Amino acid sequence: MTYIENIFVCIAGPLLLATLYMGKKYYGIFFFCIAGMGVCLLSAYINTFFAKIYNADFINATTQIAPVVEEIMKLLPLLFYLLVFEPKPEKINMAVLIVATSFATFENICYLIENGAAQFSFILVRGFGTGAMHIVCGAIASYGLVYVWQHGWLRIAGTFGLLGASITFHAIYNLLIAHGGITQYIAYSLPVITMFVGKVINEIYKSKHYT
Amino acid sequence: MIELLDNFSQFLVTLLATIGAGILFYKSRVQAYLLLTCFFGTFMLGTLYWTLHFLLFNYTPQIFYVSEFVWIASYMFLLTLGYTLSTPDERKFRHPAVWLVPIFCIPQLILYLLRGDILFNLLICGLTMAVAWYSTRGLVYARRQSGKLRAMKFFHIAVLRIIILEYCLWTSSCFWISDTYTNPYFWIDFLLTASLFALLPATKKAVST
Repeated sequence: MTYIENIFVCIAGPLLLATLYMGKKYYGIFFFCIAGMGVCLLSAYINTFFAKIYNADFINATTQIAPVVEEIMKLLPLLFYLLVFEPKPEKINMAVLIVATSFATFENICYLIENGAAQFSFILVRGFGTGAMHIVCGAIASYGLVYVWQHGWLRIAGTFGLLGASITFHAIYNLLIAHGGITQYIAYSLPVITMFVGKVINEIYKSKHYT
Repeated sequence: MIELLDNFSQFLVTLLATIGAGILFYKSRVQAYLLLTCFFGTFMLGTLYWTLHFLLFNYTPQIFYVSEFVWIASYMFLLTLGYTLSTPDERKFRHPAVWLVPIFCIPQLILYLLRGDILFNLLICGLTMAVAWYSTRGLVYARRQSGKLRAMKFFHIAVLRIIILEYCLWTSSCFWISDTYTNPYFWIDFLLTASLFALLPATKKAVST
Protein backbone atom coordinates (compact mmCIF):
# COMPACT_ATOMS: atom_id res chain seq x y z
CA MET A 1 0.00 0.00 0.00
CA THR A 2 1.27 3.46 -0.92
CA TYR A 3 0.40 6.36 1.39
CA ILE A 4 0.11 8.93 -1.39
CA GLU A 5 -1.23 11.65 0.91
CA ASN A 6 2.03 11.42 2.90
CA ILE A 7 4.04 11.71 -0.32
CA PHE A 8 1.95 14.72 -1.29
CA VAL A 9 2.66 16.45 2.05
CA CYS A 10 6.39 15.74 1.60
CA ILE A 11 6.50 17.30 -1.86
CA ALA A 12 4.05 20.15 -1.33
CA GLY A 13 5.70 21.24 1.96
CA PRO A 14 8.93 22.65 0.49
CA LEU A 15 7.01 24.18 -2.41
CA LEU A 16 4.65 25.97 -0.03
CA LEU A 17 7.55 27.29 2.03
CA ALA A 18 9.38 28.42 -1.11
CA THR A 19 6.25 30.32 -2.21
CA LEU A 20 6.61 32.63 0.80
CA TYR A 21 10.07 33.77 -0.35
CA MET A 22 9.46 33.99 -4.09
CA GLY A 23 7.19 37.02 -4.16
CA LYS A 24 3.72 37.63 -5.62
CA LYS A 25 4.88 37.24 -9.21
CA TYR A 26 5.48 33.51 -8.71
CA TYR A 27 2.37 32.67 -6.64
CA GLY A 28 0.56 31.43 -9.76
CA ILE A 29 3.30 28.97 -10.72
CA PHE A 30 3.44 27.43 -7.24
CA PHE A 31 -0.35 27.42 -6.95
CA PHE A 32 -0.76 25.47 -10.22
CA CYS A 33 2.11 23.14 -9.32
CA ILE A 34 0.49 22.21 -6.00
CA ALA A 35 -2.96 22.11 -7.64
CA GLY A 36 -1.68 19.64 -10.27
CA MET A 37 -0.31 17.31 -7.61
CA GLY A 38 -3.40 17.81 -5.43
CA VAL A 39 -5.77 16.80 -8.23
CA CYS A 40 -3.56 13.77 -8.93
CA LEU A 41 -4.03 12.74 -5.30
CA LEU A 42 -7.79 13.29 -5.45
CA SER A 43 -8.00 11.45 -8.79
CA ALA A 44 -6.48 8.38 -7.15
CA TYR A 45 -9.23 8.39 -4.50
CA ILE A 46 -12.01 8.97 -7.05
CA ASN A 47 -10.65 6.28 -9.41
CA THR A 48 -10.68 3.76 -6.57
CA PHE A 49 -14.20 4.84 -5.61
CA PHE A 50 -15.60 4.35 -9.13
CA ALA A 51 -13.64 1.12 -9.65
CA LYS A 52 -15.33 -0.28 -6.51
CA ILE A 53 -18.79 0.98 -7.52
CA TYR A 54 -18.59 -0.48 -11.03
CA ASN A 55 -16.73 -3.57 -9.82
CA ALA A 56 -14.09 -2.89 -12.48
CA ASP A 57 -10.96 -4.97 -12.89
CA PHE A 58 -7.50 -3.39 -13.42
CA ILE A 59 -7.76 -3.17 -17.23
CA ASN A 60 -11.24 -1.62 -17.24
CA ALA A 61 -10.29 0.80 -14.47
CA THR A 62 -7.18 2.04 -16.31
CA THR A 63 -8.70 2.16 -19.79
CA GLN A 64 -12.14 3.54 -18.98
CA ILE A 65 -12.38 5.12 -15.52
CA ALA A 66 -8.93 6.71 -14.97
CA PRO A 67 -8.77 8.81 -18.20
CA VAL A 68 -12.18 10.40 -17.59
CA VAL A 69 -11.58 11.11 -13.90
CA GLU A 70 -8.01 12.39 -14.34
CA GLU A 71 -8.73 14.70 -17.27
CA ILE A 72 -11.82 16.18 -15.57
CA MET A 73 -9.84 16.69 -12.37
CA LYS A 74 -6.99 18.38 -14.27
CA LEU A 75 -9.43 20.80 -15.85
CA LEU A 76 -11.06 21.85 -12.56
CA PRO A 77 -8.28 24.15 -11.22
CA LEU A 78 -8.03 25.65 -14.68
CA LEU A 79 -11.78 26.29 -14.95
CA PHE A 80 -11.60 28.00 -11.55
CA TYR A 81 -8.76 30.19 -12.88
CA LEU A 82 -10.65 31.00 -16.10
CA LEU A 83 -13.95 31.81 -14.44
CA VAL A 84 -12.63 33.75 -11.43
CA PHE A 85 -9.55 35.55 -12.77
CA GLU A 86 -10.40 35.83 -16.51
CA PRO A 87 -6.68 35.66 -17.48
CA LYS A 88 -4.96 36.71 -20.70
CA PRO A 89 -4.55 33.93 -23.34
CA GLU A 90 -0.77 33.51 -22.81
CA LYS A 91 -1.32 32.91 -19.09
CA ILE A 92 -3.84 30.12 -19.79
CA ASN A 93 -1.17 28.11 -21.66
CA MET A 94 1.27 28.35 -18.78
CA ALA A 95 -1.34 27.36 -16.19
CA VAL A 96 -2.49 24.24 -18.07
CA LEU A 97 1.01 23.02 -18.78
CA ILE A 98 2.14 23.46 -15.17
CA VAL A 99 -0.93 21.56 -13.89
CA ALA A 100 -0.32 18.75 -16.44
CA THR A 101 3.42 18.50 -15.71
CA SER A 102 3.05 18.47 -11.93
CA PHE A 103 0.25 15.89 -12.27
CA ALA A 104 2.55 13.65 -14.35
CA THR A 105 5.47 14.17 -11.94
CA PHE A 106 3.40 13.23 -8.89
CA GLU A 107 1.98 10.18 -10.71
CA ASN A 108 5.52 9.06 -11.64
CA ILE A 109 6.76 9.49 -8.06
CA CYS A 110 3.88 7.33 -6.76
CA TYR A 111 4.59 4.75 -9.47
CA LEU A 112 8.29 4.61 -8.52
CA ILE A 113 7.52 4.20 -4.82
CA GLU A 114 5.07 1.39 -5.53
CA ASN A 115 7.07 -0.48 -8.19
CA GLY A 116 10.68 0.40 -7.45
CA ALA A 117 13.20 2.14 -9.66
CA ALA A 118 15.53 -0.76 -10.41
CA GLN A 119 14.83 -1.04 -14.16
CA PHE A 120 16.26 2.18 -15.52
CA SER A 121 15.38 1.57 -19.19
CA PHE A 122 11.71 0.90 -18.39
CA ILE A 123 11.52 3.85 -16.00
CA LEU A 124 13.03 6.08 -18.70
CA VAL A 125 10.49 4.96 -21.31
CA ARG A 126 7.60 5.21 -18.86
CA GLY A 127 8.73 8.57 -17.55
CA PHE A 128 8.94 10.11 -20.99
CA GLY A 129 5.84 8.32 -22.32
CA THR A 130 3.48 9.15 -19.45
CA GLY A 131 5.00 12.60 -18.97
CA ALA A 132 4.58 13.41 -22.65
CA MET A 133 1.02 12.02 -22.63
CA HIS A 134 -0.07 14.34 -19.79
CA ILE A 135 1.63 17.28 -21.51
CA VAL A 136 -0.08 16.48 -24.83
CA CYS A 137 -3.44 16.27 -23.05
CA GLY A 138 -2.62 19.58 -21.34
CA ALA A 139 -1.59 21.12 -24.66
CA ILE A 140 -4.85 19.99 -26.33
CA ALA A 141 -6.76 21.69 -23.52
CA SER A 142 -4.60 24.82 -23.32
CA TYR A 143 -4.26 25.70 -27.00
CA GLY A 144 -7.94 24.86 -27.50
CA LEU A 145 -9.15 26.81 -24.49
CA VAL A 146 -7.22 29.91 -25.52
CA TYR A 147 -9.20 29.90 -28.77
CA VAL A 148 -12.51 28.70 -27.40
CA TRP A 149 -12.73 31.19 -24.52
CA GLN A 150 -12.30 34.10 -26.92
CA HIS A 151 -15.55 33.11 -28.67
CA GLY A 152 -18.65 33.20 -26.47
CA TRP A 153 -20.69 30.97 -28.81
CA LEU A 154 -18.08 28.21 -28.59
CA ARG A 155 -17.36 28.19 -24.85
CA ILE A 156 -19.60 25.37 -23.57
CA ALA A 157 -19.41 22.98 -26.54
CA GLY A 158 -15.74 23.82 -27.10
CA THR A 159 -14.67 23.18 -23.49
CA PHE A 160 -16.63 19.92 -23.49
CA GLY A 161 -15.13 18.92 -26.85
CA LEU A 162 -11.55 19.67 -25.74
CA LEU A 163 -12.08 17.74 -22.53
CA GLY A 164 -13.45 14.87 -24.62
CA ALA A 165 -10.45 14.98 -26.96
CA SER A 166 -7.94 14.88 -24.10
CA ILE A 167 -9.90 12.06 -22.39
CA THR A 168 -9.86 10.03 -25.63
CA PHE A 169 -6.13 10.58 -26.18
CA HIS A 170 -5.41 9.53 -22.58
CA ALA A 171 -7.77 6.52 -22.87
CA ILE A 172 -6.20 5.33 -26.14
CA TYR A 173 -2.73 5.61 -24.55
CA ASN A 174 -3.84 3.55 -21.52
CA LEU A 175 -5.68 1.09 -23.80
CA LEU A 176 -2.56 0.38 -25.87
CA ILE A 177 -0.42 -0.03 -22.74
CA ALA A 178 -2.97 -2.32 -21.08
CA HIS A 179 -2.96 -4.56 -24.15
CA GLY A 180 0.80 -5.13 -23.78
CA GLY A 181 3.20 -6.50 -26.41
CA ILE A 182 4.14 -4.30 -29.36
CA THR A 183 1.15 -1.97 -28.86
CA GLN A 184 2.68 -0.95 -25.52
CA TYR A 185 5.69 0.51 -27.32
CA ILE A 186 3.42 2.23 -29.85
CA ALA A 187 1.67 3.80 -26.85
CA TYR A 188 4.91 5.04 -25.28
CA SER A 189 6.04 6.62 -28.55
CA LEU A 190 2.60 8.08 -29.44
CA PRO A 191 2.71 11.15 -27.13
CA VAL A 192 6.33 11.96 -28.02
CA ILE A 193 5.52 11.78 -31.76
CA THR A 194 2.35 13.87 -31.20
CA MET A 195 4.39 16.47 -29.30
CA PHE A 196 6.97 16.58 -32.08
CA VAL A 197 4.31 16.92 -34.82
CA GLY A 198 2.52 19.59 -32.77
CA LYS A 199 5.76 21.53 -32.33
CA VAL A 200 6.50 21.38 -36.09
CA ILE A 201 2.98 22.55 -36.97
CA ASN A 202 3.26 25.35 -34.41
CA GLU A 203 6.59 26.50 -35.88
CA ILE A 204 5.20 26.45 -39.43
CA TYR A 205 2.15 28.44 -38.29
CA LYS A 206 4.36 30.97 -36.48
CA SER A 207 6.70 31.41 -39.46
CA LYS A 208 3.73 31.98 -41.78
CA HIS A 209 1.89 34.45 -39.58
CA TYR A 210 4.65 36.35 -37.74
CA THR A 211 7.24 36.96 -40.49
CA MET B 1 -16.10 -9.42 -37.81
CA ILE B 2 -19.05 -7.34 -39.03
CA GLU B 3 -18.92 -5.26 -35.85
CA LEU B 4 -15.28 -4.41 -36.52
CA LEU B 5 -16.05 -3.62 -40.17
CA ASP B 6 -18.98 -1.44 -39.10
CA ASN B 7 -16.96 0.50 -36.52
CA PHE B 8 -13.89 0.82 -38.71
CA SER B 9 -15.87 2.09 -41.71
CA GLN B 10 -17.58 4.65 -39.46
CA PHE B 11 -14.20 5.79 -38.15
CA LEU B 12 -12.79 6.16 -41.67
CA VAL B 13 -15.82 8.04 -42.99
CA THR B 14 -15.92 10.45 -40.05
CA LEU B 15 -12.15 10.97 -40.38
CA LEU B 16 -12.59 11.88 -44.07
CA ALA B 17 -15.52 14.15 -43.18
CA THR B 18 -13.38 15.85 -40.49
CA ILE B 19 -10.62 16.48 -43.01
CA GLY B 20 -13.13 17.71 -45.61
CA ALA B 21 -14.85 20.09 -43.20
CA GLY B 22 -11.43 21.24 -41.91
CA ILE B 23 -10.31 22.11 -45.44
CA LEU B 24 -13.54 24.03 -46.04
CA PHE B 25 -12.94 25.99 -42.81
CA TYR B 26 -9.29 26.65 -43.71
CA LYS B 27 -10.31 28.02 -47.12
CA SER B 28 -13.35 30.08 -46.13
CA ARG B 29 -12.93 30.80 -42.35
CA VAL B 30 -16.70 30.35 -41.97
CA GLN B 31 -17.76 29.64 -38.37
CA ALA B 32 -20.23 26.91 -39.44
CA TYR B 33 -17.43 24.83 -40.98
CA LEU B 34 -15.41 25.04 -37.76
CA LEU B 35 -18.40 23.69 -35.83
CA LEU B 36 -18.91 20.97 -38.43
CA THR B 37 -15.20 20.00 -38.16
CA CYS B 38 -15.56 19.81 -34.39
CA PHE B 39 -18.73 17.71 -34.74
CA PHE B 40 -17.09 15.20 -37.08
CA GLY B 41 -13.80 15.28 -35.16
CA THR B 42 -15.31 14.48 -31.78
CA PHE B 43 -17.60 11.83 -33.30
CA MET B 44 -14.55 10.29 -35.00
CA LEU B 45 -12.56 10.24 -31.72
CA GLY B 46 -15.36 8.40 -29.91
CA THR B 47 -15.57 5.85 -32.71
CA LEU B 48 -11.77 5.45 -32.77
CA TYR B 49 -11.65 4.56 -29.07
CA TRP B 50 -14.66 2.23 -29.44
CA THR B 51 -13.06 0.48 -32.45
CA LEU B 52 -9.63 0.15 -30.81
CA HIS B 53 -11.17 -1.28 -27.65
CA PHE B 54 -13.06 -3.85 -29.69
CA LEU B 55 -10.01 -4.63 -31.82
CA LEU B 56 -7.66 -5.15 -28.85
CA PHE B 57 -9.96 -6.77 -26.29
CA ASN B 58 -12.77 -8.27 -28.44
CA TYR B 59 -15.52 -6.51 -26.52
CA THR B 60 -16.85 -2.96 -26.49
CA PRO B 61 -16.28 -0.69 -23.46
CA GLN B 62 -19.14 -1.15 -21.00
CA ILE B 63 -18.10 0.34 -17.68
CA PHE B 64 -17.49 4.07 -17.99
CA TYR B 65 -17.98 7.00 -20.34
CA VAL B 66 -15.02 7.57 -22.69
CA SER B 67 -16.61 7.38 -26.15
CA GLU B 68 -19.91 8.55 -24.71
CA PHE B 69 -18.24 11.72 -23.44
CA VAL B 70 -17.02 12.76 -26.89
CA TRP B 71 -20.29 11.76 -28.55
CA ILE B 72 -22.12 14.08 -26.14
CA ALA B 73 -19.62 16.81 -27.10
CA SER B 74 -20.26 16.12 -30.80
CA TYR B 75 -24.02 16.64 -30.39
CA MET B 76 -23.29 19.86 -28.49
CA PHE B 77 -21.38 21.05 -31.57
CA LEU B 78 -24.25 19.98 -33.84
CA LEU B 79 -26.72 21.89 -31.66
CA THR B 80 -24.48 24.98 -31.81
CA LEU B 81 -24.17 24.55 -35.58
CA GLY B 82 -27.96 24.42 -36.00
CA TYR B 83 -28.32 27.55 -33.87
CA THR B 84 -25.55 29.36 -35.80
CA LEU B 85 -27.14 28.64 -39.18
CA SER B 86 -30.63 29.73 -38.11
CA THR B 87 -31.90 33.25 -38.76
CA PRO B 88 -33.52 35.46 -36.05
CA ASP B 89 -36.91 34.99 -37.80
CA GLU B 90 -36.49 31.22 -37.75
CA ARG B 91 -35.76 31.28 -33.99
CA LYS B 92 -39.06 33.12 -33.39
CA PHE B 93 -41.00 30.71 -35.63
CA ARG B 94 -43.45 28.32 -33.88
CA HIS B 95 -45.11 25.23 -35.37
CA PRO B 96 -46.91 22.24 -33.77
CA ALA B 97 -44.84 19.78 -35.87
CA VAL B 98 -41.99 20.14 -33.36
CA TRP B 99 -44.03 18.15 -30.83
CA LEU B 100 -43.43 15.08 -33.00
CA VAL B 101 -39.88 15.07 -31.60
CA PRO B 102 -40.78 14.26 -27.96
CA ILE B 103 -43.51 11.86 -29.17
CA PHE B 104 -40.85 9.95 -31.13
CA CYS B 105 -38.01 10.24 -28.61
CA ILE B 106 -39.46 10.00 -25.11
CA PRO B 107 -40.92 6.43 -25.33
CA GLN B 108 -37.52 5.25 -26.60
CA LEU B 109 -35.74 7.19 -23.85
CA ILE B 110 -37.88 5.32 -21.27
CA LEU B 111 -36.78 2.04 -22.86
CA TYR B 112 -33.11 3.05 -22.62
CA LEU B 113 -33.52 4.16 -19.00
CA LEU B 114 -35.04 0.79 -18.15
CA ARG B 115 -32.24 -1.13 -19.88
CA GLY B 116 -29.15 1.04 -19.71
CA ASP B 117 -27.28 3.81 -17.95
CA ILE B 118 -29.49 6.60 -16.60
CA LEU B 119 -27.08 9.58 -16.66
CA PHE B 120 -25.68 9.02 -20.14
CA ASN B 121 -29.09 8.28 -21.70
CA LEU B 122 -30.65 11.37 -20.14
CA LEU B 123 -27.81 13.55 -21.43
CA ILE B 124 -27.56 12.16 -24.96
CA CYS B 125 -31.33 11.90 -25.47
CA GLY B 126 -31.85 15.41 -24.09
CA LEU B 127 -29.26 16.78 -26.49
CA THR B 128 -30.48 14.85 -29.54
CA MET B 129 -34.06 15.89 -28.78
CA ALA B 130 -32.95 19.53 -28.68
CA VAL B 131 -31.11 19.10 -32.00
CA ALA B 132 -34.15 17.41 -33.58
CA TRP B 133 -36.49 20.09 -32.18
CA TYR B 134 -34.45 22.88 -33.82
CA SER B 135 -34.16 20.95 -37.08
CA THR B 136 -37.87 20.13 -37.32
CA ARG B 137 -38.70 23.79 -36.76
CA GLY B 138 -36.02 24.78 -39.28
CA LEU B 139 -37.31 22.33 -41.86
CA VAL B 140 -40.90 23.61 -41.65
CA TYR B 141 -39.61 27.20 -41.76
CA ALA B 142 -37.29 26.55 -44.76
CA ARG B 143 -40.09 24.89 -46.77
CA ARG B 144 -42.11 28.10 -46.43
CA GLN B 145 -39.30 30.23 -47.82
CA SER B 146 -38.46 30.91 -51.42
CA GLY B 147 -35.17 31.24 -53.27
CA LYS B 148 -31.85 30.44 -51.59
CA LEU B 149 -33.27 30.25 -48.06
CA ARG B 150 -35.21 27.15 -49.12
CA ALA B 151 -31.90 25.27 -49.54
CA MET B 152 -31.57 25.21 -45.72
CA LYS B 153 -34.05 22.32 -45.78
CA PHE B 154 -31.26 19.96 -46.97
CA PHE B 155 -29.26 20.67 -43.83
CA HIS B 156 -32.26 20.06 -41.57
CA ILE B 157 -33.19 16.85 -43.42
CA ALA B 158 -29.60 15.59 -43.03
CA VAL B 159 -29.63 16.35 -39.29
CA LEU B 160 -33.05 14.75 -38.75
CA ARG B 161 -31.92 11.66 -40.66
CA ILE B 162 -28.92 11.30 -38.32
CA ILE B 163 -31.08 11.67 -35.20
CA ILE B 164 -33.75 9.20 -36.40
CA LEU B 165 -31.08 6.65 -37.32
CA GLU B 166 -29.34 7.12 -33.96
CA TYR B 167 -32.59 6.35 -32.13
CA CYS B 168 -33.23 3.31 -34.35
CA LEU B 169 -29.66 2.18 -33.64
CA TRP B 170 -29.99 2.55 -29.86
CA THR B 171 -33.36 0.79 -29.85
CA SER B 172 -32.05 -2.08 -31.97
CA SER B 173 -29.10 -2.43 -29.56
CA CYS B 174 -31.66 -3.09 -26.79
CA PHE B 175 -32.83 -6.18 -28.70
CA TRP B 176 -29.48 -7.67 -29.72
CA ILE B 177 -29.96 -10.60 -32.12
CA SER B 178 -26.49 -11.76 -33.09
CA ASP B 179 -23.03 -10.66 -34.18
CA THR B 180 -23.82 -11.49 -37.82
CA TYR B 181 -25.24 -9.75 -40.89
CA THR B 182 -28.78 -10.73 -39.79
CA ASN B 183 -28.66 -8.14 -37.01
CA PRO B 184 -30.41 -4.94 -38.19
CA TYR B 185 -28.18 -2.94 -35.81
CA PHE B 186 -25.26 -3.16 -38.24
CA TRP B 187 -27.32 -2.11 -41.27
CA ILE B 188 -28.71 0.87 -39.39
CA ASP B 189 -25.17 1.79 -38.37
CA PHE B 190 -23.98 1.61 -42.00
CA LEU B 191 -26.86 3.90 -42.93
CA LEU B 192 -25.89 6.24 -40.09
CA THR B 193 -22.32 6.34 -41.39
CA ALA B 194 -23.57 7.36 -44.84
CA SER B 195 -25.91 9.95 -43.30
CA LEU B 196 -23.07 11.44 -41.28
CA PHE B 197 -21.06 11.98 -44.44
CA ALA B 198 -24.11 13.46 -46.20
CA LEU B 199 -24.13 16.23 -43.60
CA LEU B 200 -20.99 17.70 -45.21
CA PRO B 201 -22.54 18.66 -48.60
CA ALA B 202 -25.81 19.60 -46.86
CA THR B 203 -23.97 22.08 -44.63
CA LYS B 204 -22.06 23.41 -47.63
CA LYS B 205 -25.38 24.11 -49.31
CA ALA B 206 -26.76 25.76 -46.17
CA VAL B 207 -23.68 27.97 -45.78
CA SER B 208 -23.89 29.12 -49.41
CA THR B 209 -27.39 30.52 -48.71
